[in-house]
Amino acid sequence: MRLNVMNRSVKIILFVALAAVLAVPSVVNSQDVATGSATATVLTALAVTSTAALIFGNVFQGVAATIGNDNAAAGIYTLTGNASAILSIYMALPEFVALADGSDKMTISFSATDASVDTLGGADPTAMVAGAGFQNIDPHNFPAASNIGSGGTTNIYLGGKIYPTIDQAAGAYTGDIVLTVAYTGS
Amino acid sequence: MKYLVVISAFLLLAASCPAQTITLNNDLIFGNVFPGIPMTITKYSVGSAAEFHVAGTSGAEISIQFALPTYMHGSGFNIEMIFFETDCSIDTLASPSQTSPLFDNLNPWTTLVYRLGSAGLTLWLGGTAIPKVVQPPGSYTATIVLTVAYTGA
Repeated sequence: MRLNVMNRSVKIILFVALAAVLAVPSVVNSQDVATGSATATVLTALAVTSTAALIFGNVFQGVAATIGNDNAAAGIYTLTGNASAILSIYMALPEFVALADGSDKMTISFSATDASVDTLGGADPTAMVAGAGFQNIDPHNFPAASNIGSGGTTNIYLGGKIYPTIDQAAGAYTGDIVLTVAYTGS
Repeated sequence: MKYLVVISAFLLLAASCPAQTITLNNDLIFGNVFPGIPMTITKYSVGSAAEFHVAGTSGAEISIQFALPTYMHGSGFNIEMIFFETDCSIDTLASPSQTSPLFDNLNPWTTLVYRLGSAGLTLWLGGTAIPKVVQPPGSYTATIVLTVAYTGA
């Protein structure tokens, strides 16, 4: 009788041990998976348009001509992008304008007050509202705080001065003004 | 019978050993991104870096593996993503610190093996998004999959 009880106990022990061995790996091998996301919202891309050229019109030999940045003939560059974004602005300005065939050149200069940045976006240099951006600034060095206006548009107005010589050849003179604009990320 | 009791206790202990569970506390959020301006979210950035918490048996060793995206998608366009070899960090302390984690500069592209602390384990993941200059505006998303498993050690 005692022997039977022992055998029965041994069987139960073996059964339980086997069950334990089988049970443990199922816990050890369990895994869990979680899914997260990466998200981003891309803002409006920058666009630059040359809305109006800087036009000196007819000039006389030997008489310098000036166009202010608040003149209707000032150059206008229109920038569109994300409202209030800070911009890096660089303007490559010519030192002369030339006849199409390159046979004669005329000096052009830009002073430290020849540009304005209008953040109201009116595209009218004669109607820039005081305080709406930066007035009479250096086109060689735009302010670090230059920005797209709250309406998503900014206009840059550019004036300048040309110096025809007394023997300047008659004809149409042109020069390239290259404006480069980029987001700073702020 | 004494052995029976001991082994049964062992069995109950093994059966009650909790499986590890992962909780997503925070997505990897780049927020507003300017076209042409790469945006980096560091693993230390609270509220922006991805954060996962792993709970399980204290002291148990687990393997951790990320499946990382290489692009975010949106409206038929992609933004390239980069995860550098130091973009992950882990803290196993009871009060984990995102800004000063116990294990820093970990490589999320490799399988990481760590032991769970008394309060589990917290992971953080940073990353970089590289929008193109002409990137179309809009929302972009990608999926980050985290898999953890006990190693048995």
